Amino acid sequence: MDLDVVAGERVALTGTNGSGKTTLLRAVLGLHRQTSGEILVGGRGCRTAAEWAWRRRACAWIPQRPAAGRFPLLARELLASSGAPAEAARAAEQLGVDELADRPLSSLSGGQLQRMHLARAVGCVAAGAGVVLADEPTAALDFAGQEETAEVLSGLPVTLLVVTHDRAMAERCDRVLEMAAGRLREVR
Amino acid sequence: MSTLGQVTGLLQLVPVQRAGIGLLLAALGLPVVGVLIVGLDIMPVRFAMMHVALLGIAIGQLVGLDPVLCALVACGLAGAGVAPLARTADSLSGAMGLLMSLAIAAALLMLALSGVNANGAFALLWGSILAVRPVDLGVLGVLAVAVPALFIWRRRDLALLLHDRELALCSGVAVQRLMVLLLVLVAVAVAGAIRLTGALLVDALTLLPALAARRLGRSLGSITVWAIGIGAVVNAAGFLISLAWDLPPGPILVLAAGAFALAAHLIPERRTTSWRVPASPSAPSPH
Repeated sequence: MDLDVVAGERVALTGTNGSGKTTLLRAVLGLHRQTSGEILVGGRGCRTAAEWAWRRRACAWIPQRPAAGRFPLLARELLASSGAPAEAARAAEQLGVDELADRPLSSLSGGQLQRMHLARAVGCVAAGAGVVLADEPTAALDFAGQEETAEVLSGLPVTLLVVTHDRAMAERCDRVLEMAAGRLREVR
Repeated sequence: MSTLGQVTGLLQLVPVQRAGIGLLLAALGLPVVGVLIVGLDIMPVRFAMMHVALLGIAIGQLVGLDPVLCALVACGLAGAGVAPLARTADSLSGAMGLLMSLAIAAALLMLALSGVNANGAFALLWGSILAVRPVDLGVLGVLAVAVPALFIWRRRDLALLLHDRELALCSGVAVQRLMVLLLVLVAVAVAGAIRLTGALLVDALTLLPALAARRLGRSLGSITVWAIGIGAVVNAAGFLISLAWDLPPGPILVLAAGAFALAAHLIPERRTTSWRVPASPSAPSPH
């Protein structure tokens, strides 16, 4: 498959389960072994550890099912991992989860965890990330939360590649692509 | 002689003093290593390192070098060698089985070649706390400083790595390099603790305080502090009990640490539940 995303563009990826949407995002971050082809971000590929480190700084990630983790991590430690703790904390406040900062992530609900990861992504952007890779960022949220998250994500001054089945999110994107059997089709 | 008088009298003896200092130093470093083992879910590594330590001892006896020093070096090298396999706990456990078998086979071969009675080497598996030498105290002292220092220096990276490897990678943590460092540390700590309780009982000093602390703490920082505190209390209590009633220190230390870990698993259920209720009524509750 070929996919070009222009800097600053917002692209929604839809498609059936198992079509490879999550794998695509994970491959960009090097979390999924890439067997062939080439993935460039900002025109740069990844061969060395330094190039992967740059790629992971450049791309903020919101995972599909944020891991509860093997070992406790406090929510504020997650926010600090963005590289811009103050901005991430402000985003957490905006998303209504700032009071949970001193709690372990394992004690948060799915929706609260997803908001924390969104706040972390905002921190990553403040720290210099120019791309946000969001994997079903609204899946665990109620309707108001879905709207709020779509608003925050689409308002970020970044290139956005979002896997979503949420209409509110897709409507805020410049392009909507459908993925099936490893191929991409332009829907809008 | 009263029990107190007996303890006071024994504490005047140099080997007993060395053992006590060794246990105190061990309480500063080894439970923190246990936190790593629990956090990384790498229990098989510690068991494999006990076998590698035996190989190091056998090599030491073959070439005439200090066996414990050889065990430390062998474990350090093995720890660094297995790091590339540590992408997941599953991939590591298979490799550990292979390492254990190869290490014990090589150890027996070395002992046969050197004509040394294998029982001499195996005696170290049981250890002897009263046989602690100044050089062993040196190793434990280095661990007592290096391990907590590493935790303070790399606290953010460790917290992320122990929580989730992928999140750590995406947060700029040099996961592979850190894993090598941690596995070498675990391996050296296991080898360094052998003299105190023996390889078979090394869990009393590393894993059991960490398991109890994992239950009581709610972040890497608090779990580490709990582990050190529990290690110090358990080591002091176990050692004094063994002196007071003339009991073997190794098993008493294990039983004391085991009792503490068991109690910790019974007590904190209420506390764990309390974290799971919302922090405040104003917090969002999407579910």
